[in-house]
Amino acid sequence: MGSNSPPPSRAALEPFATLDPAALAGLPPSSPLTVRSAAVSAQHLYIGTGGGKLLLFTLQSQPQSPPEFLRLLPIPLLSRPVRRLGSLRNVSAVAASDDRSSLALSVGKKLLLLHLTLNDADELEVQTREIAAVVDAVKALAWVGDSVFVATASGYSLFSTTNTAQGLIDIFTLPESTRPPRVKPLSGGDEIMLLVDNVGVVVGRSGHPIGSSFVFNTAPDCIAEVFPYVVVAGDSKVDVYRRRNGAHLQAIPFARAATGALIVASEDAGTGSDVIVVATAYKVFCYRKVSAVEQIKALLRTKSYGEAISLLKEFEDDGEISKDMISFVHAQLGFLLFFDLRFEDAVNHFLLSETMQPAEIFPFIMRDPNRWSDLVPRKHYWGLHAPPKPLEEVIDDGLVTLQQALFLKKAGVDTVVDEDFLSNPPSRADLLELAIRNIIRYLCASREKELSSAEMEGVDTLLMYLYRALDLVADMEKLASSQNSCVVEELESLLDDSGHLRTLAFLYGSKGMCSKSLGIWRILARNYSTGLWKNHASLSETDSLETSVGKMSGEEIAAIEASKILQASSDQDLVLEHLGWVADIDQELATAILTSETREKQLSPEMVVAAIDPEKVGIHQRYLQWLIEEQGCEEPHYHTSYALSLSKSAMDAVHSESNYGDKNNKEFDSDMQFIYLLREKLQLFLQASDLYDPEEVLDVISESELWLEKAILYRKMGQENIVLQILALKLEDSEAAEQYCAEIGRDDAYIQLLDLYLDPKNGKEPMFTAAVRLLHNHGESLDPLQVLERLSADMPLQLASNTILRMLRARVHHHRQGQIVHNLSRATNLDAKLTRLEERSRHVQLTDESICDSCRARLGTKLFVMYPDDSVVCYRCYRNQGDSASGRGRNFSNGAIFKQSWLVSR
Amino acid sequence: MAANAGNKIRNAKLVLLGDVGTGKSSLVLRFVKGQFVEFQESTIGAAFFSQTLAVNDETVKFEIWDTAGQERYHSLAPMYYRGAAAAIVVYDITNAASFTRAKKWVQELQAQGNPNTIMALAGNKADMVEARQVPAEEAQTYAQENGLFFMETSAKTAINVNNVFHEIAKRLLQGQQAQDTPAGMVLNQRPAERMVSSSSCCS
Ligand SMILES: Nc1nc2c(ncn2[C@@H]2O[C@H](COP(=O)(O)OP(=O)(O)OP(=O)(O)O)[C@@H](O)[C@H]2O)c(=O)[nH]1
Ligand SMILES: [Mg+2]
Repeated sequence: MGSNSPPPSRAALEPFATLDPAALAGLPPSSPLTVRSAAVSAQHLYIGTGGGKLLLFTLQSQPQSPPEFLRLLPIPLLSRPVRRLGSLRNVSAVAASDDRSSLALSVGKKLLLLHLTLNDADELEVQTREIAAVVDAVKALAWVGDSVFVATASGYSLFSTTNTAQGLIDIFTLPESTRPPRVKPLSGGDEIMLLVDNVGVVVGRSGHPIGSSFVFNTAPDCIAEVFPYVVVAGDSKVDVYRRRNGAHLQAIPFARAATGALIVASEDAGTGSDVIVVATAYKVFCYRKVSAVEQIKALLRTKSYGEAISLLKEFEDDGEISKDMISFVHAQLGFLLFFDLRFEDAVNHFLLSETMQPAEIFPFIMRDPNRWSDLVPRKHYWGLHAPPKPLEEVIDDGLVTLQQALFLKKAGVDTVVDEDFLSNPPSRADLLELAIRNIIRYLCASREKELSSAEMEGVDTLLMYLYRALDLVADMEKLASSQNSCVVEELESLLDDSGHLRTLAFLYGSKGMCSKSLGIWRILARNYSTGLWKNHASLSETDSLETSVGKMSGEEIAAIEASKILQASSDQDLVLEHLGWVADIDQELATAILTSETREKQLSPEMVVAAIDPEKVGIHQRYLQWLIEEQGCEEPHYHTSYALSLSKSAMDAVHSESNYGDKNNKEFDSDMQFIYLLREKLQLFLQASDLYDPEEVLDVISESELWLEKAILYRKMGQENIVLQILALKLEDSEAAEQYCAEIGRDDAYIQLLDLYLDPKNGKEPMFTAAVRLLHNHGESLDPLQVLERLSADMPLQLASNTILRMLRARVHHHRQGQIVHNLSRATNLDAKLTRLEERSRHVQLTDESICDSCRARLGTKLFVMYPDDSVVCYRCYRNQGDSASGRGRNFSNGAIFKQSWLVSR
Repeated sequence: MAANAGNKIRNAKLVLLGDVGTGKSSLVLRFVKGQFVEFQESTIGAAFFSQTLAVNDETVKFEIWDTAGQERYHSLAPMYYRGAAAAIVVYDITNAASFTRAKKWVQELQAQGNPNTIMALAGNKADMVEARQVPAEEAQTYAQENGLFFMETSAKTAINVNNVFHEIAKRLLQGQQAQDTPAGMVLNQRPAERMVSSSSCCS
C-alpha cells in the first residue's frame, strides 16, 4: 500500500525549530553533548544527554516561535535513593501496566510480572511472578489493558494478565532476518502496531488484525501517533501517514543526515498539544501539527479545490474538524468557485454550508446600497476572495482573468485556471445565464430554511428579480401567486416596465392589494379580447389550475383570477365595480362572485341587485335563488322578484321554443327538457314560498300557457273555482282537480267541479265522462238532489240515466258498505283527519344547530320541509327530492309510514 | 448489492490466500469496486475490505482479508485465516506452480484452520485460456476430493467473480446443510454461457 500513491504533498506537519542543545545550553565545544532522550509536556521540552545532563526548554505559546532554553537541571532529581530490585539482572525489556503498579519484564528467557506496592512504612514491596518462558530473547514488551505484548526475534505473542493459565499466545511469527521487532500502542492502547521490517500490522488487544497494514517506505527508527496521523522517523526523514487508512501523506527530510532518531510526540505525554520532537544525537527537530483548517486554507490559496475537498472529507471522517468549520469551508469554497465562474460547483458548496446566510449572496444580485445592504453579514472568510459584487462584474473580471491565463498558458506559464474554460472559453451571455440559474437554485433552497422576515423578503424579491432576468414567466407567476415574501415596491415598476403584468397581478393579489390586482386583470382581459395581447394561456400555472377546462383563453383566465379575488373580498364597491367585466366574460364566474360564502362580510342584496346588468337574467336569478334558498332571505320583494324572474324565463323559453319550429328532434328534446326543468323550478318555488305576491306574478303570466303555475297562484289566493277550472278544463287533469277538491275538504267543492264538467262554458262541450267518473268516485259525498239539478237537459238520456244509476248504485253500495264500515271508519277517519291536521300543523323548533337531513347544511332561516318521518330538509333538497322520498331516504310510495299516534286505538 | 434493510446482517470473515500474482487483490477489487487494473501492486502485509452481499432476503457482510502472496509474509497468514468463516484459495490457470502452491494452502488450512471454514478454489485469469497450464478438470477433481468448491474466474472480465462470493454467502447462510451436500462445483466448460447466467444473478 501507499507506494503507488502520488508523491505525498500534504503539509500535515510543519517544522518550526531546529535546536542545537549544546550551543543553546552554552556549553563549550570541548564538552560534547549527545542527546539520549527527550520528553515533552504541555509547556516544556526535556532533553537528556549522554553526559547525564537534563536540558529544559519552554515551548512558546505561539507555536511558530522556537522553544526557549530555560536551564540545565541538576541530576539526580530523584529524592529517593535508587533501589536495586533483588537479583534481577540482564533485564532486556520492561513494560508497565496502565496504572503503573505492575511491571512486565524479561530476564533471559523468562517473562516476569512484578507487582509493586508501597507499604505503611513507605517501603516498596515487590512481588515477583514468573509467567512464561520464551524461546528467544525478548526484544520488546508493551502492556495495554490486560494484555502484555511480547516481541522476540522470532515473532509476536501476547499473554493475558487476567488469564495467565493460557500462557503465551502466538500472534504471528516473523520471517527470516527481519529488523528487530517493535511494538507500538496506538489510539491510547486500543490498538497495537507490530512491525515487520517496514510493515506495520495493526492488531487489537486480543491479537486479531485490524485494518490494512501500514507500509512505511523505510523501516522506521521510531513511530508516534499524532492523531489523525502516524508519524515515523527513519532514513533521515520524517514520514506522515494517515492513521485511518495508512495513506502516505508527507515526507520531511531532515536538514542533515543524523543518527539515532528518537521521536517524541506531545500526545504520547497526554497533553494534547501538537508538537512533535525528533531528537537525533546532536540536533533536535521540532514540528507542529498543521491544523485541518490551515491545511485546507493552504490548498485553497493555491486553488487546489479538488484536494481541498478531499481533505475536508478526510478530516470530516477523522472527526478532526468541527461542523461549523465544515460549513465555513464549504462557503469559502463556494465563493472562490463563484469568482472563478464555476457557478454550479459554487452553489453546490453554498448549499452544503449550514451556516451560510442567503443574504451573503445578495450583493451578487443587487448593487449596493439597497434595501438589504444592512442585512448582508460582513463575512470575509479567509480573505481569499474579493467582496461579492454584482454578477456582471464578477463575470467580466473573471473573463479578463481567463484571457490572461490563456495568454500565459500560450507563453508556457503554468496557470491555475479551470482547464475546461481554457479549452472551451465560455461566452459572457452563457455565463450570466448559468450564474443566474444557479443563484436561483440557491435562493429556492434558501426558501426552505428558517429565515428572518427581512431575509425572506430579500430572498423572494431577488428570486423574482432573477426569474425576470431570464424571462421565466411560469416561475415568476408561480412565485407571485403562491405564499411569498416579495416586496412589492421593489418589483412593481420593474414588472410593469417589462410587461410582466400577469405576474404583477398575481403579486398584488397574493399581497392583498386586490384593487391593483383587479385593475390589471381587467386591463388584461380587455387586451386579450381585443387581440392586443399575446395569449399566455398555456402557462403551467393556469394549466394546472384548470386542467379539466383544457386550454382557456387569456380573457377567461383573467376573469377566473379576478373572480378568485372578488369571491373573497368584502369590499362591496370593489366587487360591484369589477362584477360587470367578469360577467361579460363569464356569467358563471359572476354568479360565483356574488354568491360566494368565503367573504367575511356579505354584500348588500340591494346594491347587488341594483348592480346586476338587467340583461344578465341568469346572474340575477341565480343570485336571488341563492339569497332565498341559501341565505334564507325572507324579504317578500326578493321572493316576488325571483318568482317574476323565473316566470319570465319560463315564458321566454316556451315562447322561443314555439317560435322555432324547424328544430331537429335532439334540439327539441333538449329544449323541452330545459323548459320542463325551468317550469318545475318555478312551480316548486311558487308552491313552497308564501312570501311573494301571487297577483304580481299572475299579472306577468296571465297571458301565457303556464296553467299549472296559474293554478298554484290562484290556489295561493284562495280562488278555488279558478283553480278547479284550470285543472279540470284547461289542463283536463281530473285527477288533480279531484285531489284539489279533497284538499279543500268540503262537499261543495265536488259540486263545483261537477258544475264545471257539466257546463264548461266558453262553448266547450260538457265533459260527461269526467263527470261520471267524479260521481263514481265521490258520489257518496254528493247530494243526489243537487246532482240532479245540475244535470243539463242536453245530456243524452242514456248517459244521464247511466250517471244517475251509477250515482245511486254507488250511493246504495256505499250506503251498505258504509253501514258496515261506517262506524269504524268514521271514527278512524276522524282520528286520521285529526292526526293529519296535527301533522300538518306541527311545531318544529329550529335551532342554530338544525341542519338539513339531506345536504347537512345549516337550516338557519331557510325555507324547509318536514317529511312525515320527521326528517327535515332544506327547500333546495326538497326540490331535488320531491314528495315521495324523505330526507332520510325513505321512499313513501314503496313503504307508507304509520305513526303510532295515527292508528285508531279503539 | 445493497443490503436489505430490516433483516439481520451476518458478518463473515473471509480470507484470500494464494501465490504471488495469482490475482487475489484483483478479485477483491473486482468484487468490491467493480474495477480491474492491469498493474495491480503486489500486496504487502494484508489489505482489508468490506462488502455486503444480499442472498435472497438475507445479508452477509464480508470482512475480506486480502493477504500477500509473497513468501516473506507467509508467516502472517495464520493471523488472517484464524477464525475465518470462508477462505478463497486462488491460483493462476496459466501458472502450474501457483496450482501447486494452492494445494499447499489447502493443506495448511486443513491442518491449521477452522474445520468449518468454507473453502473455495478459484482458478483465476480464466480469460487467458490460450496460456492455460492447469486443466480445469484436474482442479475440479482435486476440489472434489478435498471438499472445496471450485470455479474458474477472471478478475479482468469479471467472469464468476461475484459467483464465488455469492456461493460462499449462500453456503454460509445454509450453515450445516452445506456440509452435507456433496462438495464441488459443476465444471465451467463454457465460460461465455456461465457469464450470461451469472450476470443475471448477482451483478
Ligand atoms: N488477464 C488477467 N490478468 C489478471 C487477472 N487477475 C489479475 N491479473 C493480473 O495479475 C497481476 C497480479 O494481480 P494481483 O491482483 O496483484 O495478484 P495478487 O494475488 O494480489 O498478488 P500479491 O498481492 O502479490 O499476492 C496484475 O497485473 C493483474 O492485472 C485476470 O483475471 N486476468
Ligand atoms: Mg495482492
